[in-house]
Amino acid sequence: MANPLLAGTPGETHLLLGNEAIVRGAIEAGIQFVTCYPGTPSSEVPDTFFRLSPEGSYTFEYSVNEKVALEVAGGATLAGALCLTTMKHVGVNVAADPLLTLTYVGSPGGLVLLSADDPGCHSSQNEQDNRIYARLAGMPCFEPSCAQEAKDMTRAALTLSRELGAPTLLRTTTRVNHLRGPVTLAEPTVLPKPAGFQKNPSRFVPIPAFARPMHLRQLERLETLRERAETSPFNVVSGAGKVGVIASGISRAYLADALDESGLGGAVKVLDLGFTYPLPEKLIAGFMQGLETLLVIEELEPVLETEIRALAQRLGLSLAILGKTPGPLPRFGEFDTALVQKALRTALGLPEPEAPACACGTDPQVPLANRPPNLCAGCPHRATYLAVRTIYGDNAVYSSDIGCYTLGILPPLKAADFLVCMGSSISAGSGVSKASGQQVVGFIGDSTFFHSGITGLVNAVFNRHDILLVILDNRTTAMTGHQPNPGVDKTNLGNNPVRVDIEPLVRGIGITQIRKVNPLNQKATLAAIEELKAMSGVRVLIAEEPCPLFARRAYGQKRNQVAYVAGDCAQAGAEGTCGDCLNTLACPAFYVEDGKMAIDPLLCSGCMLCLQVCKNIKARKGDAK
Amino acid sequence: MSTKLRIFMTGVGGQGTLTATTLLARAALSAGLPVTSGEIHGMAQRGGVVESTLLIGCKSPKIGLGEADILLGFEPLETLRALPYLKPGGLVLSSSETLPPLSVATGKESAPSVDEIRAKVTARCASACFLPVRSLGVQAGAVQSGNIALLGALCALNVLPFGKEVIAATIRATMKPKVAEINLKALDLGAACPA
Repeated sequence: MANPLLAGTPGETHLLLGNEAIVRGAIEAGIQFVTCYPGTPSSEVPDTFFRLSPEGSYTFEYSVNEKVALEVAGGATLAGALCLTTMKHVGVNVAADPLLTLTYVGSPGGLVLLSADDPGCHSSQNEQDNRIYARLAGMPCFEPSCAQEAKDMTRAALTLSRELGAPTLLRTTTRVNHLRGPVTLAEPTVLPKPAGFQKNPSRFVPIPAFARPMHLRQLERLETLRERAETSPFNVVSGAGKVGVIASGISRAYLADALDESGLGGAVKVLDLGFTYPLPEKLIAGFMQGLETLLVIEELEPVLETEIRALAQRLGLSLAILGKTPGPLPRFGEFDTALVQKALRTALGLPEPEAPACACGTDPQVPLANRPPNLCAGCPHRATYLAVRTIYGDNAVYSSDIGCYTLGILPPLKAADFLVCMGSSISAGSGVSKASGQQVVGFIGDSTFFHSGITGLVNAVFNRHDILLVILDNRTTAMTGHQPNPGVDKTNLGNNPVRVDIEPLVRGIGITQIRKVNPLNQKATLAAIEELKAMSGVRVLIAEEPCPLFARRAYGQKRNQVAYVAGDCAQAGAEGTCGDCLNTLACPAFYVEDGKMAIDPLLCSGCMLCLQVCKNIKARKGDAK
Repeated sequence: MSTKLRIFMTGVGGQGTLTATTLLARAALSAGLPVTSGEIHGMAQRGGVVESTLLIGCKSPKIGLGEADILLGFEPLETLRALPYLKPGGLVLSSSETLPPLSVATGKESAPSVDEIRAKVTARCASACFLPVRSLGVQAGAVQSGNIALLGALCALNVLPFGKEVIAATIRATMKPKVAEINLKALDLGAACPA
């Protein structure tokens, strides 16, 4: 069956994930070149492009990191291709260097950067607001609020970028990326083949003499873009009254529901902003005329609010402007319909709505046992962490990195003492050991190592740092959904013929103290760590074993044994007795029944790590998960 | 306002909560309803909680505390945890079969029993229906199809603006024949429960 994202008939309506709608929007714009680094909540965009790539008429790549992704697309757009680059919000920090100059150089073929922000930190280390990058880089910004807009704005952003040569920001938030809604398809544009790179050094080489006029051209372009925002169909005024509301992004959905539910729909004037930067000043000036109060509703930073305040000051308007400086809305986390309704009532001078009643009434909710995410049964990271902890205990500082293995923070493994960003395990770990002389063990996954670990490792060699780096090579990018990286030999679409092998790479930068083990072999892993512990300087342990979820799918791995508790583990839970593996391993397949430890055969993955830890655990035939 | 309907769904990563959500949303769209659904995942596939929403007649993909008309719990402890999202007079459909968190399974923490959960939930909503979702899934032919049994029970309560046949048609239209057959069976098994 042909995929509707590629072959859907114009006029048809499909239920699409926000991220799928972005893919369709790009296809309708005639997309020719897609680069990315995966990261929640953006990942379904590149993963969908990848899955459809055998039939699609575009070039697609999982780039090594976000900076590389944007640079590859930056070159492709200079060669005339219509390009989309996708990443999560923190990825834009990695890509910021090319970004801030690409907006000088321009995008002759068109270039849209998707930044998937994460208010509420659902799956991120911070909740930075990347609309500020639009201001910093001088690029137009679109903020969709539903699936249909995700498609339409992607198409509009790509088309605009190509027309004006302006790299453009498509800024989404988790709720928009991961909502599903009806999307009506339109006819795709067919673009001519990329024209090829046209030499013009004064335009494309930002040496200081050329960069200064390039900056002026960028500022002029922003004024042209502002004119477009003034008349954009994504910026819409409705309603009437002395109280006005300006909302952007997903806040517009909450506002619409709040107005509908409170019956305040007729009482306020609303400006829905979808094309949010450059700020359509004339439109907003007209909107503010006659208003006594203006409420600005946007999640995270008061970006629009601050700009609108400056505009009102410039125009000498004396209306009251509410938002988040100082209130009533917060500068952190996600909004929802109730919060927006509360802010609306404040703006209208109405009493606060009653606290939302819920079915549990006023009874205090008894705290329930939490269900934190955990390393899966059979995860090789558990085996590596167990071995490292067996040897180092609490006598090393564990410098962690970003991936599934960050879950090693949980007891009993407790293998994450600090974390900054992608690749920081090595460099920040080096800093700790150099400053304090403490033993440092860094942990980094294969994809993160390729992303930005290599530079830190080269630095550690050059500056003679003292660190044991454990590269947790599970042969895929597991955390974000098993995307390929340069080190894999299998992808979801077949073999990778050009694997970059980590061991010779590490040797190539001059490291000689290297051990490579399968962590599911505890004895060998413990021996390797003991040896490396006795050495000093930069040491690398490569712990290689595929992610079992990926191995089942990509390698067809089947294990025909499961573990069971054979002896009398009556003392389950007591430290130092048999049953201690319950306390040291935290495998999700373990449980306690009638005071005895047992292993759920349906959850056991057959990794047989526990057999090496406890003599009372044996293997028997059975289809491991 | 009366045309709005908000359904909050909760379960454990890997249970298929999102598959059920998407199926229900597709069915609503095929019935011509203005539907939005939302999901929060990310690290959820590592055994954490997965929450999703389905809203009819709303722009927002999010359900706030006390806003859900219906709570679908694919795991009883998660049903109880999500109870604050249910509005007074709301309806609860839940699995009666536990999938305890690791800390509970290993005896480090305790959790209320299914009977305790059932009593708490029943006391606080207009109507509650507990069914052995995993067993029904196994009976239908695949444990994952248990979620569809819960949707079947929901249809039988006649609270959706479309009927079981719309979900059945969506299953046929979107799943491979073999998988569809199992899920259709699960839908029927679930639909027979509330009676």
